[in-house]
Amino acid sequence: MINIREVSKSYGPIKALQHADLHIEKGSCFGLVGPNGAGKSTLMKILVGILEEFGGTVEIGGKPVHQYRRDIKRQIGYVPQDICLEETLTARDNLLLFGQLYGLSGKDLNERISEVLTLIGLEKREKSIVSTFSGGMKRRLNIGCALLHAPEIIILDEPTVGVDPQSRRAIFELIHELKAEGKTIVYSSHYMEEVEQLCDSIGFIDQGMVVEHGTMKEVFEKHRHSSIFIEGEQITEEVLAPYGELTVRENGYVITSIDPLATLQKVALALHSQAVQPTRLELSQTKLEGIFFELTGTQLRDKG
Amino acid sequence: MNAIAKLEFKKKIQDKGLWFWTFILPIVFIVGFISIFGGNTGADSEQLVVQIVPGYTVMFSFYIMISIVIAFIKDRDSGMTARIASTPLPTLQYFMGKWIPFILIVLIQIAVLFGFGVAVYDMPLGNTFALIMISVALAFVSTGCGMAMAVIAKTENMGIALTQVIALGGAMLGGLWMPVEFMPDIMQNIAQFLPHYWALQGYQTVILDGGNVLDVWASLLVLIAYGAVCIGIALSAYPRYLKLSKS
Repeated sequence: MINIREVSKSYGPIKALQHADLHIEKGSCFGLVGPNGAGKSTLMKILVGILEEFGGTVEIGGKPVHQYRRDIKRQIGYVPQDICLEETLTARDNLLLFGQLYGLSGKDLNERISEVLTLIGLEKREKSIVSTFSGGMKRRLNIGCALLHAPEIIILDEPTVGVDPQSRRAIFELIHELKAEGKTIVYSSHYMEEVEQLCDSIGFIDQGMVVEHGTMKEVFEKHRHSSIFIEGEQITEEVLAPYGELTVRENGYVITSIDPLATLQKVALALHSQAVQPTRLELSQTKLEGIFFELTGTQLRDKG
Repeated sequence: MNAIAKLEFKKKIQDKGLWFWTFILPIVFIVGFISIFGGNTGADSEQLVVQIVPGYTVMFSFYIMISIVIAFIKDRDSGMTARIASTPLPTLQYFMGKWIPFILIVLIQIAVLFGFGVAVYDMPLGNTFALIMISVALAFVSTGCGMAMAVIAKTENMGIALTQVIALGGAMLGGLWMPVEFMPDIMQNIAQFLPHYWALQGYQTVILDGGNVLDVWASLLVLIAYGAVCIGIALSAYPRYLKLSKS
């Protein structure tokens, strides 16, 4: 559905994207993750046709975006990171504007506005001025503006920033509905648990480069490191050293091993034979956040 | 384009600041200055009205530039320009959609202020067609100037400051505050390079001398030429504005 090949983009001396390669399957929900300034928003702006000058090629539905920009724009619904609404107008007026910009009019547009208002849960507030809305309501309306023309591809750039748990849940339900309808979704977020929950494939981007991508299963299989966490007063490095690579975490130790289950068994037996009683002994699996830090590091990106 | 134009017009109608600059303040100035000069100078009342009403109409028509600058910079900084660029709307239609409502507002402003002059001071109007032509040309030049300023200015403050220079400087030098004949020769020469002067001359030719379109061709030509230059500047700086709004 979306093919990104060797895409590069610079802002003066800053290389926002460097030879990015990605493939996004039709009907998939693709998570795009990376630290601040990694190049996610730049890539999204290229996909939706906001940024027209870039190196490399982007094909959507087999059509190069350079040649079929207007056609492709009709297939895409873009939810920007900023809330782009006219605050002094009503929810309905905002939807009306975006519907008209996508070429909808008359009865079709009115019907579609009512459908979208129901979908985003704002049907009772359609005549309210947007400036009276909460952050979550504005976020939902921001999404609604991108859905009016029933696009095949929906690109969401951090759509849950600053929303309460109820609105976040509503946005998740909406995305699940869109997935069920077979829409292709590109979802950017800093919240790893969101991406893990919603997406079936993922791309990690850092310093303008795609550092890892694949289906969620592939990425987990490649980067999943099971480990054992152990904590207790009598637990020392000497006791645990023979059983694997050891790192200190919080008040205990993490043992990384190729066969964590067998190691767990050995450690338990050893501790038992030495009459050492741990307060915590558990097997833990790497989460997406762990993979994110593994791939992009833990250093702050806003330091010069 | 219609969607953007309708939206902009709707927003402007709700903007109380625009009502103040466009209608209330000019009426206050017109009433104030006619009262001051009418009572003390013993000037011919028709000449006074035909100097002050069109003069302040021309001056305040340039204040539309403030609203244009604010509208464009707000859209740029809020991400709305970039958001609209993600829709199939061609960028030139966005430009036109933003521009047309301001032309309409200036035309309404001229109609209201001239209507006030007629209703309150019995101001004659002369040839309606010629009056409309000058008004359209004036709206073209004042909004064209605003469009150029809007895409060039980096901040709202910069745009507002330049608007004040153009509106007030043009009014003073263009003979809108007092007839050019009362000004020194050098200023009379400078006035002829300003659209403000030509707009007022056009109105006075129609209203005082009973002129028609043929009699105001020079005014029309100068105003349209100025407007075309401004729009040319706006269109050439427009890609830079779009680039700034998208990055």
